[in-house]
Amino acid sequence: MAQAPSASFDTREEVDFVVVGSGAAGGIMAKELASAGHSVVILEQGPHLQAPDFKHDEWGYNHNNDLVWSTRHGNRQTFRRNENEEAELQESVLGYAHNVGGSSVHFSGNFWRFRPIDFMEASVRGTIAGTNFADWPITYEDLEPYYTKVDWEIGVSGLQGPWDPPRSREYPCPPMPIKGSDVLLERAAKQLGLNPYPAPVAILSQPHNGRPGCIHCGFCNGYGCEVNAKSSSMVTMIPLALATGTCELRTMCTVSQLNTDEAGRVTEVVYFDGTGAEQAQRARAVVLCANGAETPRLLLMSANSLFPDGLANSSGFVGQNLMFNGYSSVAGIFDEPVNAWKSVPATRVVHDFYELDESLGFYGGGGIDGRHPSAGTPLEFALIAPEFFGTPSWGAEFKDNLANQFSHCAAFDGHSTSLPLPTNNVTLDPNYQDDFGRPAIRCTYMDHPDDLATMEWFRDKTIELMEAAGASNINGSYPETGQTGNVHLLGTCRMGDDPNSSVINSDHRAHDVSNLFMCDGSSLVTSGRGQPTMTIMALAFRAADRINQLAQANEI
Amino acid sequence: MQKELLTRRAFFNSLKSSAGKSVILLTLPAIVAACRESERARLAGEEFTTLTEEEANEFDAVAARIIPTTSTPGVREAGVVYFMDNVLGDRREEQLALLKEGLLQLQTEVALQYEVAYFYLLDETQQDALLTTIANTPFFSTLRYLTVAGMFSLPEYGGNRDFVGYQLIEFENQQAWASPYGFYDADFAERGE
Repeated sequence: MAQAPSASFDTREEVDFVVVGSGAAGGIMAKELASAGHSVVILEQGPHLQAPDFKHDEWGYNHNNDLVWSTRHGNRQTFRRNENEEAELQESVLGYAHNVGGSSVHFSGNFWRFRPIDFMEASVRGTIAGTNFADWPITYEDLEPYYTKVDWEIGVSGLQGPWDPPRSREYPCPPMPIKGSDVLLERAAKQLGLNPYPAPVAILSQPHNGRPGCIHCGFCNGYGCEVNAKSSSMVTMIPLALATGTCELRTMCTVSQLNTDEAGRVTEVVYFDGTGAEQAQRARAVVLCANGAETPRLLLMSANSLFPDGLANSSGFVGQNLMFNGYSSVAGIFDEPVNAWKSVPATRVVHDFYELDESLGFYGGGGIDGRHPSAGTPLEFALIAPEFFGTPSWGAEFKDNLANQFSHCAAFDGHSTSLPLPTNNVTLDPNYQDDFGRPAIRCTYMDHPDDLATMEWFRDKTIELMEAAGASNINGSYPETGQTGNVHLLGTCRMGDDPNSSVINSDHRAHDVSNLFMCDGSSLVTSGRGQPTMTIMALAFRAADRINQLAQANEI
Repeated sequence: MQKELLTRRAFFNSLKSSAGKSVILLTLPAIVAACRESERARLAGEEFTTLTEEEANEFDAVAARIIPTTSTPGVREAGVVYFMDNVLGDRREEQLALLKEGLLQLQTEVALQYEVAYFYLLDETQQDALLTTIANTPFFSTLRYLTVAGMFSLPEYGGNRDFVGYQLIEFENQQAWASPYGFYDADFAERGE
């Protein structure tokens, strides 16, 4: 891809906006703000990798963590179950990519909209004791135009399903061709009286907006697309942002602090550049789009005499209410070749269980899709297959089984709700630092009993589906003792009308700092049922609209 | 049985602490030296950068029981030990230390049970019997992990030579596929579902 012309600003020049992070939200934010004529500097901690840089490198990406920010690369993270434990250093707890486009580059591409219920579930369902379960300050109707904007500007393939929320415009691209794993899911689901339908994905099924359609190589989940068919912000938004001529993208820049003046307004963003030298970019306003782990970390690191508990943290909610989404997976072997390792991860979804019946005695809901058990990757499959299928893990029989299982297997996965809890959070670890000397991210997390019950319910339901599909060697699992990490990093600077129980308002402006905005997974009030990237992107388009309006009215 | 295992473990642990001080237990007969030369030839004569030749021989022998050569290529044809040599030298100090310590314990057992110094000198039945007793140890789990990784990673990391790992599972590392991808979606299309 040809490099677009880019603006260049001096760090002492006060730009209109600094956007921290160029991922799902940051790319959109920068493009929308720059398109409105504002001067914008994007600070991205990773490199600007592009399609020719990506390859089918399972060892490099999944085991060396070459695309993600992990302990191996000097970004230490720690984990503990509760505040009484001392957090232990882990290779990776909260997973996210460190490159232009962020995790929108290497995510699966699964792209479900939230539904109206997601925005008002606490009112409809009732609050849940011991949790911070709450309504959003906006509704599905408020966000629908921006979901549609994502569909068309980012590029989404799909077909309106029986359970989908209303949409103002059809998908721009038809659904992906069905895979064998989803034929098996669809047939089984119909046997059980369910309503499977084509999965929406942020991967092009046909050319759109000057990009080509998918060639079905199978390396989506955890990989960058080698033909730009995956609709990352890197390929959809960043080029447009740079083409405005008012936006500068600075890569390999790791932000360490936001400085404020006596009035409590942000004045500059401090960062380490690619050489390790400390810099500070002056700005009239700052938008944090750094993700649900890095955004709260940055606010907590920016504590000063005016904001002793961290910037924008008068509520104490910065870093709190971390939500992951629950998951379960059931695998089975089929007589004929499924070859689920080809093409995109999922082509069918079952959303009949978006809201589980209250009579079950616990809160929850989710969706089911068909996949390959290891996201189609050979190495991971060989590692997990013995446990999945109850077969030997070494020796000639192990080898013989692998030869058959890889192409003959399918998985039905559950994706479900997580509740916002005051005990699940991102904080600064007092004992570990990263290579820049910044306090390591410390994650404290234990799934709510209702979240575990929901995962178990989906595990059992997908076993039922797998049996109906005619599989052998069926085995299902979910994280029974609780999750120890995830890539969905949600709720840690959530939006709300009440400054006592939220960090940003419905304009994504910090309640405490008038020229500071946040938009990424941290903004979410509830978790949805998995696949949050679509909603993060829709929020970014909406937030950018609001910020542009505020700027035009001179209210920032 | 459990008591016997515990007793044996305690015994081996006591040996482990003394083995470092004494090489008597691991005295090398002449025949072993000949075998080492043979092994060097089998390992394609390539230099190792992280592993010693002895470690390479031993890890290669364990790996060859995890994914053996049968009617189809196994780890030796894939060059998995060279993958191990590469990746253990790439910020995996903890794994390397664990393997070195585990190897010492394994060789102690080899010496005690079979009166030879090296695991790779045992026949396949003896090797499998010994590996069965350590299948749940971090040492074996780590070697299994690296064996599988070396079999199914891109050849640029040293293993999966000529894509023999991919061929084993009928995975084709190609850029583009067209629907139908397998039996069931072809059947779906044929039936007009």
